[in-house]
Amino acid sequence: MVSRNDKTSELLEVFRRMWLIRAFEEKASLLYAERQIAGLLHLSIGQEAVAVGACSLLRKNDYVFGAHRSHGHAIACGADIDKLMAELAGRATGYCGGKGGSMHIVAKETGFVTATGVVGGTIPLALGAAFAAKERKNGQLAVVFFGDGAGQAGAFHESLNIASLWKLPAIFVCENNGYAEFTPLSAHTKVERLAQHAETYGIVASTVDGNDLFAVRQVMARAIKKCRNNKGPVFVECLTHRMRGHYEGDPAKYRELSQLAEWKKQDPIVRVERALRKKKLATSQELEAIEAEARALVEKAAEFALTSPLPAAEEIVRDVMT
Amino acid sequence: MRELAYYEAKFEALDEIMAADQRVHLINGTFLSLSPHRHVFQNLKQKYGERIVAPPISELGFCGLATGAAMAGLRPIVDLSTGSFIYEAWPQVANEAANAFSMSGGQTRVPVVFHLFHGLRGGGAAQHSGSPQGMLWNCPGLEIAIPSSPRDVKGLLKSAVASDNPTIFVDHTRLLDIRGEVPENDKPIPFGVADIKRTGRDVTVVATSYTVQVALGAAATLAQEGIEVEVVDPRTLVPFDLATILKSVEKTHRVVIADETHQSCGVAAEIAARISESGFDKLTAPIRRVSTLDVPVPYSPPLEAHIGPSEERISNAVRATLA
Amino acid sequence: MLPKISRESLLEQCRRMFVIRHFEESLVPLHDQGVFGGHYHLYIGQEATGVPAISCLRADDYLFTTHRNHGHLLARGAEPKKLFAEILGRADGLNKGKGGSFHSVAPALGFLHSSGVVAGIIPLSTGTAYAAKAQKNGRITVCLFGDGSLEEGAAPEAFNLASLYKLPVLFLCENNGKYGAGRAAAAAQSSTMAAYPLTDLPKAYKIPAQQIDGMDAGLVHATISDAVEKIRRGEGPQFIEAQTVRYPGSETNWPTVPRPTDTALAWDVGSVPEKAREWYRSCDPLLIFIRELVEAKQATQEEVAGIERQVKTDIAAAVEFAVNSPYPKPQEAERDFFAQS
Repeated sequence: MVSRNDKTSELLEVFRRMWLIRAFEEKASLLYAERQIAGLLHLSIGQEAVAVGACSLLRKNDYVFGAHRSHGHAIACGADIDKLMAELAGRATGYCGGKGGSMHIVAKETGFVTATGVVGGTIPLALGAAFAAKERKNGQLAVVFFGDGAGQAGAFHESLNIASLWKLPAIFVCENNGYAEFTPLSAHTKVERLAQHAETYGIVASTVDGNDLFAVRQVMARAIKKCRNNKGPVFVECLTHRMRGHYEGDPAKYRELSQLAEWKKQDPIVRVERALRKKKLATSQELEAIEAEARALVEKAAEFALTSPLPAAEEIVRDVMT
Repeated sequence: MRELAYYEAKFEALDEIMAADQRVHLINGTFLSLSPHRHVFQNLKQKYGERIVAPPISELGFCGLATGAAMAGLRPIVDLSTGSFIYEAWPQVANEAANAFSMSGGQTRVPVVFHLFHGLRGGGAAQHSGSPQGMLWNCPGLEIAIPSSPRDVKGLLKSAVASDNPTIFVDHTRLLDIRGEVPENDKPIPFGVADIKRTGRDVTVVATSYTVQVALGAAATLAQEGIEVEVVDPRTLVPFDLATILKSVEKTHRVVIADETHQSCGVAAEIAARISESGFDKLTAPIRRVSTLDVPVPYSPPLEAHIGPSEERISNAVRATLA
Repeated sequence: MLPKISRESLLEQCRRMFVIRHFEESLVPLHDQGVFGGHYHLYIGQEATGVPAISCLRADDYLFTTHRNHGHLLARGAEPKKLFAEILGRADGLNKGKGGSFHSVAPALGFLHSSGVVAGIIPLSTGTAYAAKAQKNGRITVCLFGDGSLEEGAAPEAFNLASLYKLPVLFLCENNGKYGAGRAAAAAQSSTMAAYPLTDLPKAYKIPAQQIDGMDAGLVHATISDAVEKIRRGEGPQFIEAQTVRYPGSETNWPTVPRPTDTALAWDVGSVPEKAREWYRSCDPLLIFIRELVEAKQATQEEVAGIERQVKTDIAAAVEFAVNSPYPKPQEAERDFFAQS
């Protein structure tokens, strides 16, 4: 539901971000098929409401940590999609000069600290950023995104314990898309909701419909307030669905087609569009223009990436240490 | 003789091992990484489903589970898939499995196999391209097998499972499609026996894993220049067959070591030290190492290609020893 | 209360508790005299958990223990002289002197491995349980660890696996921090563990869990027998937290013995230094057990003292054996780190 506090201009901006992520990832998928992108590519199509819902309420100096499926988080933080696409394509103009790739993106100027290729790998790191923020006493906080698969990693539990003990301003955003890599959650754990673990450690936790942008924003607004008032940490579990396989090229035979069709109806972008129209906050033309604009920006980003030079071999020895 | 793809030989081995020994369980993975041949794993699953489990993303937990199961008489093969992920399980592998037999005064046997894919794989970047075998060689108590051909992967996997020690089975995704001779009913390949993959009189190239294939490519190029390279593949790092290498050095007097671990304290460093300790008088040129450059593995394709032990780098090193 | 077992078994449990107590008390002077080096940990104060719990097991069950393993091994029947020799690094030790206090094992008794790494054994215990389930041999695994282990990520990973695969394993957490620092607030277990009670951790994984008084031998015996039976029936893992009060001699960095134990202390703690007196009066599980034995007329004070005298003589002989056992030959260091098939 659109809440009274949401300003129309802000909502349209949020909607724009969602489309930017969707268009970016659809384009990345095509480029991957054309082998312009190497390695593994994990897409978050269908999970845009979580990234945008959470990040749209943050300050520029908050810390955001992603996982391996994090293009959306970086874009939601305001990352430059030209540099992002260039990074995916391994170009010198990419965010990491081509050294990181899809799983290791960084967009420091936006607050997006890092992604990781290790499941659960950034959770302890976010703890550190929250620790630093708490020391500074300036209301900064850290948000870390991770999937349900990370819930079975020991580092996740160690981090919850420490965050709770030291009351760190950290928001743990679990994107529970029901699949850890290739297997359903039920094959990985008897625990149905990962929020249960947070409660065990005395952390306030809630579970929301992660495909409902407004619900995510509402829960995140509360969590952010708590952290800024030094009453953190908070755990937010967003139930969502990734519409693609684990990585591009994953035949995803482990999923039922009917399931996918059901989830398509729950497409977070479609739902926001519906709400905006219903409230008459935007016309169909305006909404369509947003999509078109996003796609045009992404085309431009792809053009930028593919015409950028590959890094020179001498780059190898640079930036290994400060 | 019969020819098989590397992945076919590997699966033939797994199939035969599982058929022959009820104690063998497969913990995690597909043993084929994300290769397009993943479907062949389904055949194993159909035949031995009860002895194959797909655990959660808990490397620390399931490597411990496999180690404990080995202590209790099973012979588990754990698939860590990406080699770098063994760092998540380090406490159980390096501090429990490796030490148990010694700490118990030779009582507790740990016949577990930790299987992983190491090395540069194309876009793996810094966290999916690790070659942890150098670090693992620094943990006494672990055996390390590192095949480079279809015949070796089959024979070594059988010996790894038969071993009463914890064994690291170091594989490489770029080997999966290589074809080679694999005799039917081939015998297991004993650990600690190096294999001469190509004979030559001028320079000995000691290479491991996929780098053996790279070295063979370099040898073919160099042959056109009239340089005859002998490619020696130790096949296991622990135990290590120094004798075969020294015999080759006696003939060539020159050594290049090509390997994909990072250079410092890496596999090539240890092999070089052993050769110079025992065969210094046989050398007429300094030993040269062609290792992965000492930088975190970069993502971008030209950078990744630049740091690895390429044909070009191996050829240059060989030429340098003759200069 | 006393375990509901025969008089003969009660006296045997009493004897084993004495063995542990006098074994551990003998170690302290040996260490202080420099007879052995390295850190070591005493099991004193937890005898009423280890002895009755381990008595509920079958001879072929598996056990895993930690740095605080002496009591578990002795409760299971390991020879004190060989354990002493191991701790002293001698050739006659349980592991030929290669393990020491941290890593003493006795595979013949089901102890395949002891780890000095906090939580190191918890994943391993799921492995023996996995093997036993696969081999359908009815064996169960008991994993004995301290409350600190729950701070390691290895613990939740292992609980998840045990629950998921319904493994025959008993997680027996010996929390010797009852009334310990930070506990009074009850909002958290301690300054290093946010979860409270600790049983919430396994319960999140749907592992049945309960908290019991680990100084009450009868309660331990009843609870563990029941849990073991359920596990053997195939109901999956169980978690029990046995709470004890930390032995005052274990509160310092290096163990001390505030007052050597003897039977008479059960009725008069006047000779104990005042700081430690309350522990001996109300928290010493061995003294509680002795009093209960006598009150229930299962034994006279004199009979108990007789058992103790024999144990003391045996322990003195065991120390003698260990001290006179030779050190392993230096070349032994190069042997036995690989098994020969």
